[in-house]
Amino acid sequence: MQTLLELAQGPLFRLTFAIMALGLLRILILDIWGAVEAYRKAGDKNIPWGQAFRKSLAWLFPVGKAFGSRPVYSLFSILFHIGLILVPLFLFAHVELWKSGIGLGWVTLPKDWADYLTLSTIIFGLALFIGRVAFRASSFLSRKQDIIWPLALIVPFITGYICANTGIAPAGYQFFMLIHILSAELIFALLPFTKIAHCVLMPLSQFVATLAWRFPPDTDEPVAISLNKKGVPV
Amino acid sequence: MNKNRVSEEERARALKPTKKPEVIQRQRLPVRYHVEDYDVADRPRRFLEAFAVILRHSNYRFALEHFIRMSAKCSRCSVQCQVYLASGDLKDIPCYRSELLLGVYRRHFTMGGMLKGRVLGDSGLTDEMIEEIAESFWNCTACRRCSMECPAGIDHGLITHLGRYILSEIGIAPRALVVSVREQLEGKTGNTSAIPVPALLDTLEFLQDDMRETKGVEIKFPLDVEGCDYVFFPAVSDYLMEADTLMGIAAVFAATGDSWTTGTGYFDGINYGLFYSDRMLERIVKKVHAEAARLKGKNILIGECGHASRSAKYFVPTYCGGERALPVINIMEYTLQVLREGRLKLDPNIVTEKVAYHDPCNIARQGWIIDQPREILKAFCKNYIEMEPHGENNICCGGGGGTVSIDEIRPYRTTIAGKVKAEQIRASGCNYLVAPCANCKKQLRELVEDQKIDCEVVGLHDLIYKAIKFDKKQQKK
Ligand code: HEM
Ligand code: SF4
Ligand code: SF4
Repeated sequence: MQTLLELAQGPLFRLTFAIMALGLLRILILDIWGAVEAYRKAGDKNIPWGQAFRKSLAWLFPVGKAFGSRPVYSLFSILFHIGLILVPLFLFAHVELWKSGIGLGWVTLPKDWADYLTLSTIIFGLALFIGRVAFRASSFLSRKQDIIWPLALIVPFITGYICANTGIAPAGYQFFMLIHILSAELIFALLPFTKIAHCVLMPLSQFVATLAWRFPPDTDEPVAISLNKKGVPV
Repeated sequence: MNKNRVSEEERARALKPTKKPEVIQRQRLPVRYHVEDYDVADRPRRFLEAFAVILRHSNYRFALEHFIRMSAKCSRCSVQCQVYLASGDLKDIPCYRSELLLGVYRRHFTMGGMLKGRVLGDSGLTDEMIEEIAESFWNCTACRRCSMECPAGIDHGLITHLGRYILSEIGIAPRALVVSVREQLEGKTGNTSAIPVPALLDTLEFLQDDMRETKGVEIKFPLDVEGCDYVFFPAVSDYLMEADTLMGIAAVFAATGDSWTTGTGYFDGINYGLFYSDRMLERIVKKVHAEAARLKGKNILIGECGHASRSAKYFVPTYCGGERALPVINIMEYTLQVLREGRLKLDPNIVTEKVAYHDPCNIARQGWIIDQPREILKAFCKNYIEMEPHGENNICCGGGGGTVSIDEIRPYRTTIAGKVKAEQIRASGCNYLVAPCANCKKQLRELVEDQKIDCEVVGLHDLIYKAIKFDKKQQKK
């Protein structure tokens, strides 16, 4: 158990973290590069940047969106995300690890806040899962990953909570800690290749949607030539 | 549970086949719109070939990449789509519809998809999938309401647009649209309604006589005048169907005295390319710009028509030289401007009925024309009412994306696609429904007739024509 834990905390962590960081960086660069190319080729370069920016903000801080379509789902999703993003980044115990590892620390969440956020992420993760299975349209659309993600994501939260808050015996502690770390690492490794990529691509969505309607000029002829339709009547 | 959901009986009526079985078999297309005969051999390969060529010469690829990475399957869009709300058919959920094409893209145009296909021995695109796309992508009205609520930025209007473009390159497109575009680009008359110039002149003569009689003012439709401020392109069908709209527009110009003209070389604002083919879109946009340039006009002025306005506003700069292209404005922008300047007088005691405004998707969705018509209407209609939702988030008339021109699918349009709109209109209790768009007008008239709603569908300038006041000086002329 001890060696497994050490493996998980050391090399495996570095590996999966690197996969995540590089994977996310790659798709971020590809996405931005694609948008820049599209802009370069567009015949109309008069882009409503301000409007796209406002729409992006509305999605990144979705206060208004919560009262739009599917309000209950939105509320669940927002409460789920708050803990999902804040706890891993600002938990005192995590920041301590970074400090001892790379010598860099930052602000941390008060303990009771961290606990409440963890609980809300667990509860709303479950709620999202139930909603996904129960809501007719959602369950019809769902792929495997859509159903699994809310459940997979709360595993490290549940195990982390157990380790931090129950005076559990050392053997049990080690077991749950191992699950905690391994599940988080699995998430790291899969994240760039699944829809969770949205954690870096989300801010670009509205710009992509805007630029997508900006076509390059003079494409009738090359398309017609390539398809052997040059001069062919409509 | 949902007041917009249609009954099984209505569904059956809306989706009743419109074609003979032998035609369906010959064309291998179980869709309700008519298609001209085309080469049915080898469709999947030709579809993919067309897809590849289009990707090479366009900007679609980066958006598709973003969409496949982001798609959250959150089904927010489902509660936005008027088609799904009415049909209740899960296959009408926007994200499902788009996935039909995104799936083809993922399978055949991404590394991961090609590898996975090979490993799993999945041969990819099939004839059945093409048939499903051909059906589904013309059930969508490309209104883009769903895209407003997609956190991933997935624009189903764009995907519908692209899917139809690919289909059209293998010969699958509604006959009604193709025939019109053929006449417009290659026919003798050069416009979608096949109106020859002499017939146009007759119509204008007739309208001028009518206006002289009813208004006591000499109101002209100037033709081929060079150097005007505005070169005018209505949906050409207005010359056949919307006399009041055209007279209202002419009356506004008569009141202001600004210079405008219609070119007899080309006078059609309609651009079905926006609905099914970027190649046609480009060719038609270039015709509009060329005519305005021939007449040395300063602005391209589009009449009351949503898709004509959008295709000119957003694609004249694209295809005709970016910032060097002539500016495009919609007639309502002009009318509001002259109203604010005090150059247009409207009598507030003429239109006293309840008036509601329907936002055409193509000018409202991106926030371009929403407040302008409302300001004009409120200036002279005492009893203006608002329908909810409206503006950017309006509900499509049910005939968007060119579907209104496909007469054989009228039962679908007025039973399913227009159902949510119908309930909205009914609830508003309006007497006049103002719809400044040739397509919306046709669809809404058929909708209120089939749904038995008691209201009159008019253009904005139809009401202006009723209420416009000329001063003494002009009247003597
Ligand atoms: C960094 C900022 C992030 C933003 C702005 C964001 C935004 C969103 C949005 C808009 C959705 C679609 C559902 C909805 O409409 O509410 C969503 C879904 C989801 N997000 Fe995020 N997200 C972020 C980060 C993350 C991270 C880091 C994770 C996981 C590690 C995550 C996991 C999920 C999951 C599992 C869903 C699907 C929920 C469901 O519908 O079942 N998100 N996110
Ligand atoms: S809103 Fe966007 S991501 Fe969500 S289900 Fe619809 S298309 Fe998919
Ligand atoms: S564009 Fe309009 S009709 Fe098409 S899927 Fe979206 S909401 Fe439905």
